[in-house]
Amino acid sequence: MSTEQITAPGAPSPSGETAARPGPRTGANAGRRPRSLTTRRAWSFYVFAGPWVLGFLALTAFPLGYALWLSLTNADGLSNNSRFVGLENYREVLTDPETMSSLARTGVFVALTVPLSIAAGLLLAVLVNQPIRARGLFRTLLYLPAVVPPVGAALTFKLIFDRDSGAANGVLDALRIDGVSWLMDPYARWVLVTLTLWGAGNTMIISLAGLQDIPKELHEAARMDGANAWQSFTKITVPMLSPVLFFQVITGIIAAVQSFLPLLISLDPTPRGVTSVPEGNYLFMIHVFAQYFANGRYGYASAMLWVLFLIIIAITFLVFRLSKGAVFYSVDPEPTKQSRPRTIGDK
Amino acid sequence: MVFPRRSAVYMLLVGALVLFLGPFAWLLNTALKDPSELRALPVHWWPHDPSLNNFHDALTQIDYLGYARNSLTIATVYALLVTLASAWAGYGFARLNAPGKRLIFSVLLSTMMLPQVLTLIPTYLLFAKMHLTNTYVPWVLWGLCGAPYLIFLFRQFFSNMPKELEEAAIVDGCGQIRIFWRIFLPQSWPVIATSLILSFSWTWGDYIAPALLLDDTHTTLAVKLAYGYVNEHGAPLGNLVAAGAVMYVVPVLALFLIVQRGFVTGAATSGLK
Repeated sequence: MSTEQITAPGAPSPSGETAARPGPRTGANAGRRPRSLTTRRAWSFYVFAGPWVLGFLALTAFPLGYALWLSLTNADGLSNNSRFVGLENYREVLTDPETMSSLARTGVFVALTVPLSIAAGLLLAVLVNQPIRARGLFRTLLYLPAVVPPVGAALTFKLIFDRDSGAANGVLDALRIDGVSWLMDPYARWVLVTLTLWGAGNTMIISLAGLQDIPKELHEAARMDGANAWQSFTKITVPMLSPVLFFQVITGIIAAVQSFLPLLISLDPTPRGVTSVPEGNYLFMIHVFAQYFANGRYGYASAMLWVLFLIIIAITFLVFRLSKGAVFYSVDPEPTKQSRPRTIGDK
Repeated sequence: MVFPRRSAVYMLLVGALVLFLGPFAWLLNTALKDPSELRALPVHWWPHDPSLNNFHDALTQIDYLGYARNSLTIATVYALLVTLASAWAGYGFARLNAPGKRLIFSVLLSTMMLPQVLTLIPTYLLFAKMHLTNTYVPWVLWGLCGAPYLIFLFRQFFSNMPKELEEAAIVDGCGQIRIFWRIFLPQSWPVIATSLILSFSWTWGDYIAPALLLDDTHTTLAVKLAYGYVNEHGAPLGNLVAAGAVMYVVPVLALFLIVQRGFVTGAATSGLK
């Protein structure tokens, strides 16, 4: 479609000829101004969107295609004679017990952390949305752990759950309970879950923003009708918040299946690599890195990642389908109204 | 909705605060302890002889400042480039129209769902072939094309600005680039600040990309911190790890605390509206 055609409708042509056809016969500047303006805007769009499109093609689409190709080969990074093996890697992904058990563990991890994080975030959001003193301070301090870089968080939790010098066993000791090796099986996975929940400030902030968008009149009307706090919460707050919670479910799942926190918790200064991750924390992503780094199996690792991607798409699709009817949109999702910028200390 | 009892609210919040801030306290506590105290039984809840020696040792045992400089360089370069590039693309999606825009925009939105590691491994292999590993070129390239999330953020912000702004400029004969640069960009400081902070802390906190792309001398603090502090027998030195981690985490926390008043948290939810 040429750019002239787009601008043609509505462009007045004094000479009565088709406006879409620019040429020497078009008189002076007559009718040119609006057309050239829209045309220029179209070209401007490509100028502005261009860098991202190029970047997407070179840094996302091309690597994706390359990953797809790798997943069909037995590339190992050592020998140059990698060859096409068809769907062999995919067959192995689906039949390798270690891959499947790491996938199952990831499923358990997601099923534990996503609902817990969202629930904790919602509870905290409701609390810091109450008319109380210093709530800005509460919001800020509860959000703080979410700002800590993953490596910093993992190192901190390693110190807390250290068998000898950690605070966790210190507390147990004070209670006359024998300490345990938290960073090993079977406790390691609970350290991982706790560490993940430590960042619940993130979901708190998102839920808080959602809470503040709920018109106050709704709760007031409910109270007049004799609803108690719990009814008001379940019948108004949760349905009004459902798009926000839905958003958190999707982004939470996508983030959790990709989690490599176990790697950071278990990183041992002695270079034993990722094989020292306790079994309970041996998630799918850790298996990918093990295959990739320790065994140099680029092809197989790529196939695993493609399977993961397909699983993410399937889950997203499923969540969309299941949430139909459960998610309540009060406004047109298209951004039309002026959105009010918020700060954490916002009153 | 009003919670039944205000005192219950305070109790729950203070309880949450203890759980959420406890780890920071323990980190600092460990960083101030003498190495011998780490082995003390029962655990010392307070360092009996607090000292800053661990911080000194943490700075000297590894080339801490060198790695910090690497982190700072990557994060600054990426944050500046990605913010400008995202504002640039965001302006196009917000204010301009052309065939294919809807398609490009939906591709942009769907890339937010893409697991980053899926592209990271092939990207590593490609960059290795082009001899771009152990350089900071990948971060420059990633920065130059903008980040979908930030593009979306700028697009939301620019969409909400009044039409009159650009109409007057067009009458005056301004081109789109000039309108973007002179009119829209200077008005978007809240988003620029948000974008700079977000992108800076992503890169400062990133582990996987530098671990894949950079060798031991070029790598970042995040990577070195995770395995750098050991004694001659290869046993981890908890005090130095703690001191190093404090110095690594505090700048990010300080940055956040300074800017949080102006930090657009609505940003986090703009995807919903």
